[in-house]
Amino acid sequence: MSTGMDRATPDVVDDPPSGRRERMLDVVGLLARLFLGIVLIYAGGTKIGHPLTSQRAVQAYEILPDALANTVGLALPFVEVVVGVLLVLGLFTRPAAIVATLLMVVFVIGIAQAWARGLTIDCGCFGGGGQIGAADTTYPQEIARDAVFALTGAWLSWRPGTLASLDRVLFGH
Amino acid sequence: MAKKPTPAAAKDRQAKIQAAQKSQGSGANRIVVATVVAVVAILAVVGGVVWSQSQKQAAIGTSTAVPAGASMGQGYPAFADVTPAAGAPTVDLYEDFQCPICSQFEAALGPTIADLAGSGKIRLKYHVLNFLDDKTGAKNSTPAANGAFCAAADGKFQQFHNAVYASQAAEGTDVTDAQLAAWAKTAGITGDALKTWTTCVADGTYTRYVSSVNDAAFTISGFSGTPTVRINGETVDLSKVATPELLTKAVQDATT
Repeated sequence: MSTGMDRATPDVVDDPPSGRRERMLDVVGLLARLFLGIVLIYAGGTKIGHPLTSQRAVQAYEILPDALANTVGLALPFVEVVVGVLLVLGLFTRPAAIVATLLMVVFVIGIAQAWARGLTIDCGCFGGGGQIGAADTTYPQEIARDAVFALTGAWLSWRPGTLASLDRVLFGH
Repeated sequence: MAKKPTPAAAKDRQAKIQAAQKSQGSGANRIVVATVVAVVAILAVVGGVVWSQSQKQAAIGTSTAVPAGASMGQGYPAFADVTPAAGAPTVDLYEDFQCPICSQFEAALGPTIADLAGSGKIRLKYHVLNFLDDKTGAKNSTPAANGAFCAAADGKFQQFHNAVYASQAAEGTDVTDAQLAAWAKTAGITGDALKTWTTCVADGTYTRYVSSVNDAAFTISGFSGTPTVRINGETVDLSKVATPELLTKAVQDATT
């Protein structure tokens, strides 16, 4: 069982090394979950209570008709918070991570099309949003940031088993 | 590690029973928990949308009042008593009473704009917006804008407008009734007119009009905030009208 013994007898291909690796990945998963979950809760939280700003942020992408953009503007903050809470709790990690990843992919597409079409908008990722001066746009940074979030979500969708998750407490492995 | 066979077998059996119980239990659990979570999630989102909508509606109000010469979504024509010269350009001015740059803009150009409008060289329209309230979470732009249009009913829009910028409330802070009353006093609203003004302020008579103007402004392509100046429907680069001389020249160039 001791690590010293494992190293002394490498031919014993036993559980400990792979078990240790799994435990480490569980910790990585926990960190990924907390990171993405807190980002989503923060992103949603800063928008809640600012319905008009949030609606205008969605309208500024000029993808959706205004009526639909208004509904998305009102609903999106709450969706973000709900998914974020699930991730932080580690409850239904895989579905939550898939939704989070899809959200981030949609955001990246939205920002990229705004950039490509020459719109000058703030992504409104963490509140604010809407049209801004051409010199104030930060499309590459916004896309890079959301891509990191998307990758985090993809990792959790791939390997949703994490340390200290409600999934494990409630459903075992 | 190996012990006597009997306890080991018992332990094994025990483990199997536990495993069976666990898998059975977790199957049922999962569906119940998933249902509960899904219902809570949907309620949270739908409830959130309904709450946001009602919050938005409460901020807008239901009054259909519009200031003299304006209609919903349209700017307020200032200096309505002045007959503009033939060919005088229309100048649309988009401001938010909470916006610090608008205050600087007014300090630099306000008197020139008033002169131009007062002498009929431009047709001046104020679009008083309130988007900063939603952005900052303060009750500032909307009550100030409403107060200004309540003052307009007494013919004191310009005075109230100037009073607000002369002692502007800091961005992100609520505008109190006392502050509004102080602006009204500076604007010279007294007597019965003051009573009417006070009722108008308490009722938020023009908040819906202000919101409609705000919404209309943000449908203009490239509109990014305040202050914005449009001459004959074209948005002007602020650096090109940054001084009284530049503004006067821009107006002359636009006069037909």
